[in-house]
Amino acid sequence: MIKIVKNSYIQFILLGLALLTLPFIAEMGVIRNSTVTVIGTTIIYTIAALGLNVLLGFSGLISLGTAGFMGLAAYISAYVTETMNLPFEVAVLAAIIIPTFLGILVGILSLKFEGIYLGIATLVVAEILREIFINVTEFTGGASGALASRPELLGFFKLDRIQTYYLIVIVMVIIFMLIHNLTKGHMGRALNAMRGSEAAAQAMGINIFKYRLIAFGIATILASVSGVLYVHYVGLSYPTTWNLMLSLDFLAIIVVGGFRSIFGTFIGAFILFAMSELFLKPIPALANIAPLVKGILIIIFILYYPNGLANIKNQVSHWWQRRKGKKDEYGQTKEKKKKLTRAEVRENDTA
Amino acid sequence: MANFIGVFLRSLEYGSFYALSALSIILVYKTSYTTNFAQATLGMFNTFLVATLVVRQGWSLYAAIPIGILSAIVLGILIDVIIIRRATKAGAVGKQIITLGLISVFLGLAPIIFGVDNLSLPRLISAGTLSIFGNPFSYNALFNIFFGLLIMITMFTTIQKTKIGLAIRTTASNETTARIMGVPTKTVTMAAWAMAIVLSLISGLMTAPYSSVSLTFMNDVQITAFLATVVGGFATFHGPVIAAYGISILLNVFQVYMPEGTVWGKPILYAVLLLIMYFKPYGIFGKQRVKKV
Repeated sequence: MIKIVKNSYIQFILLGLALLTLPFIAEMGVIRNSTVTVIGTTIIYTIAALGLNVLLGFSGLISLGTAGFMGLAAYISAYVTETMNLPFEVAVLAAIIIPTFLGILVGILSLKFEGIYLGIATLVVAEILREIFINVTEFTGGASGALASRPELLGFFKLDRIQTYYLIVIVMVIIFMLIHNLTKGHMGRALNAMRGSEAAAQAMGINIFKYRLIAFGIATILASVSGVLYVHYVGLSYPTTWNLMLSLDFLAIIVVGGFRSIFGTFIGAFILFAMSELFLKPIPALANIAPLVKGILIIIFILYYPNGLANIKNQVSHWWQRRKGKKDEYGQTKEKKKKLTRAEVRENDTA
Repeated sequence: MANFIGVFLRSLEYGSFYALSALSIILVYKTSYTTNFAQATLGMFNTFLVATLVVRQGWSLYAAIPIGILSAIVLGILIDVIIIRRATKAGAVGKQIITLGLISVFLGLAPIIFGVDNLSLPRLISAGTLSIFGNPFSYNALFNIFFGLLIMITMFTTIQKTKIGLAIRTTASNETTARIMGVPTKTVTMAAWAMAIVLSLISGLMTAPYSSVSLTFMNDVQITAFLATVVGGFATFHGPVIAAYGISILLNVFQVYMPEGTVWGKPILYAVLLLIMYFKPYGIFGKQRVKKV
């Protein structure tokens, strides 16, 4: 039984099932309907942040353009379904392919830049996209925004608010599984090696060009999926939504949740987005401190807790092992030493 | 031709804003090895302080500016002592993320302290225009041009000719060696942060009368300044400043002479500069850093 629960895929499905029950709980009156909407939006942000986590966590490449790509996908999807009246599936394809193509172009640009220049380059790309959102009014609706209705699957199955929420949860579980699969395999190891030292990775036969493009591709695909879900769930897209602050939110989610951790990304999104929406915003005195708290959390986590909240489980189990080791007088020393070296390896790995 | 001289002078004025911000970015980069994304937000914060004193408390602008400069220096010292100095373990990207965290902190603090309304700041020189080849030019604009150039010249002479400048240059080239040679690198880094935030404030004070003091009013200046730093190269102090003036001229030319330039001039220039970044990744004035395994 414990073995089954330890399987990551089962964990993802269990998390999905737990989230799927929320609308029922809301119907029973335990939580408010608006809470479900907030959690749906949080899941959408989790998806975009997970893409950035693959890019930043695994391969160490920073991007400040996540919000731009997410916005582009949102506008394309809204335009294809509302103005061109094409099916939702076509919109999804278009809204993923076009931004991903652009994202891979940025990836090609990134080959020339070192880490520190890349942030600026992606920031500039996001600025260009934002100018387009503001100025190409026939495509984006300009400052008054673009409208989108809820998705209609296969041309006849029109989803309502709660069904769209189910769709979002299912997409999240599928993406979690895919990313888990990808990062535990050859690709994950290659990206990890690249983060450590590009020259060394290259010497071991890793094609940096290929894996940088793949990392940028995944990040943009996930940002696009998240943008599509956003515009069809929230129903609106304004140019002001897709600014640097949103990209910073994704960054904060990863830093607080933990680099390279899928559950960490989810927890981070919950703490930074859902918590402030559900607990800080309703209290007038605290409504304005959300960005302040976010900034302080980012700085504290980078300085003192660079592995993020996802590392808490390991630390607790370590502490527990050490306590147990102290109680036994003999026979545990070997075990203790082994644990210690593993901890050191992990520390070296993340440093 | 007369029109072009007007465009050129306006470019020089905006170039001052960009160059001050670019110099602020490069100072921090050279001493702390991070790109300070919070440059605009810190400039905004201190400009908001000056604007609040002027608009809400009825102070004179010239009395409020010293308070703003003092606040900028104190903020610079605090940021360096409390945060940057402790971030030795964080890598280059980690430090960048810290400055992004600073953006969030000060964007959160500003509305709590100064309120949510946009304020309008008066010009440094309130009245008077001069006609240059038929182009009306305010004394304020001319002051901005000359004051910007004056600061640049002072900074470069300080960096190149004085003992303090030597300390900055050695810290920039290799911090460990500089410390061994007895350069107080911690003080140098602290002073660089304080100076950088003061430069951001000056840039903010010059920019503010052309728009209004809002939470994001300096973001455009910062993005152009960042582009200038990258195009000019992080290797030298003068590269980014020259690039800042150059970009300002290009931007104005694009906006004035291109069809629909007011709308598309900026994004097209950004795209062109990205291409330059691709072909000259270490900047026009920069040189490649040798990477070792």
